[in-house]
Formats: sequence, structure tokens, C-alpha cells
Amino acid sequence: MAILEVKNLSKNFGGLMANRDLNLEVEEGEIRGVIGPNGAGKTTFFNVISGVYKPSGGTIKFDGTFITNLSPDKIAELGAVRTFQRVALFPNFTVLENVNIGRHLHARETLFGAVFGMSKHMEIENLEKSRKIVDFLGMTEHQDELASNLPYGLQRALNVAIALATEPRLLMLDEPVAGMNPTEKAEMTRIIRLIRDEMGMTVMLVEHDMRTVMNLCDKITVIDFGEKLAEGLPQEIRENKDVIEAYLGAEDIVA
Amino acid sequence: MDWPTFIQSISNAVILGSIYAIVAVGLALAFGVMQMANFAHGEFFMAGAYVVYVLYALGGMPFPAAVISAFPIVAALGMVTERFVFRPTRGNVLAGFMATAGVAFILQVIVGQVWGVGLMRSVPTPYMGAASILGAQMSWQRLIILPSTLVMVGGLWFFLHNMKLGKALRACAQDVEAASLQGININKITALSMAISGGFAGVAGALMAPINAVTPYMGHSIIVTAFIVVIVGGMASIEGSILAAFILGFIHTFVTTLFDAVLATMAGVAFMAIILVVKPTGLLGRVRM
Amino acid sequence: MPEVIGEYYVEIMILFMINLILASSFRLITTCGDWSLSHVVFMGVGAYATALLAKFLGWPFWGTVLLGGMASAVVGLAVVFPLLRTKGFGFFIGSFALGEFVRLIWVKFHFPFGGPRGMIGIPSIELSDIDFYEATPYYYLVLLFTIGCLAVLYRIDLSRTGRVLKAIYADEDLSKCIGINVARYRAMAFSVSAFFAGIAGVLLAHRLGAIDPKNFDVNTMVYLVIWVVVGGVGSFWGPLIGVAVMMLVGEAARPLAEWRPLLFGGILIAFLTLLPGGLDSLMSKVRELLDRRTADGTKEN
Repeated sequence: MAILEVKNLSKNFGGLMANRDLNLEVEEGEIRGVIGPNGAGKTTFFNVISGVYKPSGGTIKFDGTFITNLSPDKIAELGAVRTFQRVALFPNFTVLENVNIGRHLHARETLFGAVFGMSKHMEIENLEKSRKIVDFLGMTEHQDELASNLPYGLQRALNVAIALATEPRLLMLDEPVAGMNPTEKAEMTRIIRLIRDEMGMTVMLVEHDMRTVMNLCDKITVIDFGEKLAEGLPQEIRENKDVIEAYLGAEDIVA
Repeated sequence: MDWPTFIQSISNAVILGSIYAIVAVGLALAFGVMQMANFAHGEFFMAGAYVVYVLYALGGMPFPAAVISAFPIVAALGMVTERFVFRPTRGNVLAGFMATAGVAFILQVIVGQVWGVGLMRSVPTPYMGAASILGAQMSWQRLIILPSTLVMVGGLWFFLHNMKLGKALRACAQDVEAASLQGININKITALSMAISGGFAGVAGALMAPINAVTPYMGHSIIVTAFIVVIVGGMASIEGSILAAFILGFIHTFVTTLFDAVLATMAGVAFMAIILVVKPTGLLGRVRM
Repeated sequence: MPEVIGEYYVEIMILFMINLILASSFRLITTCGDWSLSHVVFMGVGAYATALLAKFLGWPFWGTVLLGGMASAVVGLAVVFPLLRTKGFGFFIGSFALGEFVRLIWVKFHFPFGGPRGMIGIPSIELSDIDFYEATPYYYLVLLFTIGCLAVLYRIDLSRTGRVLKAIYADEDLSKCIGINVARYRAMAFSVSAFFAGIAGVLLAHRLGAIDPKNFDVNTMVYLVIWVVVGGVGSFWGPLIGVAVMMLVGEAARPLAEWRPLLFGGILIAFLTLLPGGLDSLMSKVRELLDRRTADGTKEN
């Protein structure tokens, strides 16, 4: 069953067609890579799917529900959560607190409850789950550190942890290994694979790092100039003439 | 509404719109150049009125000279405000705005303590008598506002489009980084903007001195209207401010004639809220609030 | 305590505590990043509500204080709703516009609000034979309410709800993408804070016995801003410290008479240009310094 169905998606920025007639289907349990040269429209694509931008045309269906014009929080509630290319976290909270904030969708607190401390049981559960996620990402020893004090690689990992806390069905990672050294990249790759294998989540990632993409993804979609250029297995994409041409001059295709 | 009242209202509205225009243009200019939102703009207006009070009513200087003197004096106030309030808070619109509330307090106290608090209509009218236009009675005192507005707004337009410093100002308003890369001294531009902004408010106050009651608190009523006009017009847009000034002048005048002044202010405030919600960039602006 | 310090200071303490409620409720909105110029208007809504209910309908205190708070909360919701499309300076100015609109309603309508002259003859509170006309019993009543209101606001700040508000301020886009309905939280914070401002207004109305629209105008609002800026909004205690410090300054500067607002204006400018985080931020800097010193100390050992 396709968990994500994108049909004829377009996004127009006052004359600039960032996404043009995109069609895409992601199966449940897949790890899908979305690649393309700089400025191809990949992040715009993510922004439209996650509700940060409203599409100019086309439809998006997630898990059978149309999410085309929904707000980001509604889409997250339905189970599609994205991370950001930039470092996105809550700087004045600790690592553990950051992840715990991510438990928002599973922690209904009323005002009355806030004042009289009614949801203690749920809070203990959420803190436990948050701890498990922090462990899963190998950040246990940092859990009480302020997020703003973390080194870059750990901050990117925290981005993923916060997203995982929402217990999504579809996790959309925007350049998860950008700026990481080889060790960190390998670790993140391992984690992403585990996210699919052990947590049963579907993963879609935008990436520039070809080695990571080729290793990790079941299927790859290539976007160029806002349009779908090619789609297929990593091997097919690697040998696709159009793709190679689009990347002409860029070293990263030679993984 | 009968015809004479209608004509009278139209002429009053045009005059009111003109004053609003002078005041609002100053505010819009400062905001456009460096997001300087001046809470004390009403006090600058008040300061201009006091310049006329001191120089003309107390000092005997001819009225036109007194009005013209208001420009450099209040412009200086503007520059001081820019240097000590806006520059340190550059980048934080809210902080600058709140800090100028402090400037407003300071000006109110100084003026009140030096020249006394309380209602003063002690600025005698230099131009007695009225003209009759199409059946409406317009005092000369009010009529001179029209050419004054034209001269000031026209002068500003000429400055911004035909003079090097003016073009630099516009460049800064469009794109600070690009302007700075072109070698434009940003601090000079911000100082100049606040000088012009203050000067305009001061002249407006000076023109109104014989018409309004001159008190240290006369800025209160004008500041609300000034911000309404600028928001409705589009926070950084000079053309928008002029357009909005006349729209609001008309609304205010007609509502006051038909009902009362309080309702007129309420109408203006409500109009501002509607614009902020429905078209946050204002009528002609491009800055999203 | 009141018995010891004399009636003048008891009145000041009463005012001080009412201002604590006002400042602390204001801080709630700032935790999610919104600064409002309409807060004192909600104090006015509570004040007018209790004045009308007590004077014209003879309602008892417990009824009017509850309804005063609720009325402010409802008006607060009405005011914030259109403002949710704005933020920062736009929110600030817009809140001023809408707040002023509400205030002008009191100015315009002589019936029932009394117009520009306002309302007089607000009955004093009567509860089980205690006459709250006197300062001392009133002091204890306000003390009770202040502790109660601050406790509730403190609990909200510490709760998950409080953390969500701070998360919204820290990164709104991220908050949205993890399922936080930002608009709903902003509206809730605004409405709850208006509720407490309303309570403060009820307490003020019964102390003063008379209210008019000028009690709740932009001038008063600027004073609230000064307290909050001086104290800082980084921590729960910041605004409370701000109220305390500025009221002390105000008392100490009484000899300055009409020059006082100049001092206040200068203080506002000084803090915003030199210490925008308020005394709060100074305290955390000191704390940081002390932490570093102890850390170095233990390292050396």
C-alpha cells in the first residue's frame, strides 16, 4: 500500500516554478531517496508535503487521507513528520527535554491538568519513551546537556530524535548527514536503517551525499528543475544517462 | 447631511488628511529605512508646536519663520533619538519602539516643567479671517496647510528621486546589505531619516499650533492616528501613507460630523485592525507585519 | 504585618500585589514570544465587570470576581483571534489598536460605563461580616488572591503547557512540524493571561471605589512594560522583581514630583539599550559566573 501518493504536485513562487507536476508514490516500509542538483526543488518538495508551503496545484495523499492543504501540525498528527535542513531544536532545553517536547502528540494536557499536575502517569511514561529514544541515538551521556551546547553532529542527531518522539508512520529527513564526518555518517545511516527495520517506519530522505543514498535507499527519485527526472533502483539511477548529465561537473555522483 | 455641511466636511477632511500626511510620511520614512518605529513621533509633533509657541507667541518671531525653524529643531531631536535609542536597538523593532516610549515620557516632562502643564491656547492666530470656497468657510490658518503639505511632500519626493543622498536613502530602504556594499554609510542614512522624520512631525505640529490646544500631551491623539495611517498605508510606503492619510482624514471628519470624535477614533482603530488582519502589508506596502 | 507598618504602606502593598498579578500574567504571553500592548485593558474589563455587577445588580464578591476574570478571558479571546495572523511588532501594534477600541467603548458610552468620567461608588466587598472597606482586611484578601494567582501561573510555567509555549518561541516551524497547534496555544496563553489581568482589575476596582478609562490607557500600559523590561521575562520571577524594584524606585523618587516620569523614561531606555534581558538576565549571568568559578575550584583541587 502506498503510504504517500503525490499527484501532479506543483509549487509556484510568483513566477518561479519550484516544483512542476511531480508524481511520486512511496510504499509503506520503504526507504526512499530524493536527490537532485542544488536548486532542483527538493526542499521545496518537502516543505509542500509537510504543510509548510501550500501547493499551487496537485494533490498529496498520506495513508489514504488527503493532506494537500492541511497545516503542518495536522499533518504531523496524522503521522508524517519531517526534519529540517537547518539545525532545528529548542536551545534552552536539555537533550532529554527536547525529545520530551516531541512527545507532544502523545501527551494531552489540559490547563486544569497543568495546574493540578493530573497527568503524572502519562508524564512518567513519556519521559521513559524519550529516554529510550535518546539511548537509541547514542546520546545517553548528553541527555542533560543544553541542546545549544552540543556539537553540530549531535545536534543533527537530536533533530532526528525529536522527530522520532512523535512516533511517525512516515519520517521525512532533510539532508540528515549534511556536514557530518564519515563516522557520524555511518552511524546515522545505521540508525536510519534501524528506524525502518525495527520501528517499521517509512523513511524518505533528501540528500546530496551519494554514497549514503546509494547504500541506504530501496528506491531513488531524481528531481531536476522542479520536475521528476528519473526514478528507480539505486543501480539503475547510477547508470541513468540523464541523471549523470544533470550532475555533470559534480563529483558526488561518482560514489 | 445637507450640502453646506457636506462641502464643509470635505474641506475639513482634506485639511485633516494633509496634516495626517505630513506626520505619517515622516513615520513611514523612518520605518522604511531601518524599521525604526517611533513611539515619540507624537511628542515630536508636540515639540514643533512648542517651537512656534516659544518663538512666535512668546518671542514675536514672524509665524512662517517660526514654523520653518521647527524643522531643524525637531530634526535634531530625531537625530538624538536615532543615535541613542534606535542605533543600539537596531535589529529589534519592538525594543526600539518601546524605548521611544521612554523618549516620549522625557519630552512630555521637560516641556511640561519648563513651559507649564495645562490647557494653553495661547498661540494667537496669525492669519485671521476665512475664505469662502464653494460655500465652505475655511480659515486662512487652515488653508495654509495645503500648500505647506505640497511643498514638503513634493520636496521629499524630489529629494528621494533626484538627489544623491535621497537615492542612497531609498537604496538603504530597499536592501541594507546591498546599500552598504555600495559604500553607503548606513549610520548617516539612519540619522538623516530620523532627522527628516522629526522635521516633518515638527512642522506639522508647528502648523497646528494656532489651531489645536498646545499642551505637553497633545502628542497622544496624533500618535494613534499616525500609526493607524502608516499601518493602513503599508508600514514602509510613503505613497501608501499619503493615500491612507486622506482616507483616514475623510473617515475621521465624516464620522465626527455625523456622530462624534470618539466614534471617529474607534472607526479609525477598527479600520487599522481590519487591515492588519486582512491585508497585513497595508494598502500599498510590501512589508509583512 | 499590616498592623506594624502603617496605613499608607498597607495601601502601597495592596497596589504592589495587584501589580504582581498583572506583571506575572503579562509574562505568560511573552513566553511564547508575543508582546501585547493591550494587557491593562483586560484589567479594565475585570474592573468594569465587577463595578457593573456589584453596583447595579448587587452581586456578591465571589460572583463578580469569577465573572470579571471570565469576561476578561472572553474579551481576550476576541482580541487575540484576529491577531494570530501577526507576530512581533505587528502583533504589538495590532493588540494596541484592538485594546484601544475596547477602551474607547467605555469612553463613548455613558450608559452603562459612565463615559470619560467612569464609574464611582463601587461597593466595598462584604464577606461574612468582615468589612473590606478598611485597608488591613483588604490587604489579606489581596494577599490570598496574589498567592493563589501566582501559584497557578507558576504551575502553568512549569508544566508541559509552559514548555510548549517556550518551544513555540524558540522555534515556531519546528513546533508546528511536531504537531503543536501554535495558534491554539498562543490564543490560550493570551486568554488565560487576560483572565488574571481581569482578577487584578476586580481587586483594583474594589480598592479604589471608582474607575475611569484613563486607569487603563496606554500610559498605564507603558508602566507595565517598564516593570517587565526592568525585571526581565526570562524567568518567572523576573517581572515580579521588576515590579518590586520599580515601585521602590517610584517611592524613593517621590521628591522628584513631576519629574518622575522622566526618570522612568530614562530607565526604560537604559535597560532596553544596555540590558534588554532585564535584571533577570543579570542574575543568570551571575549564576553562570559562580558556576564556572566552582567548576574551576573543583578542577584545581
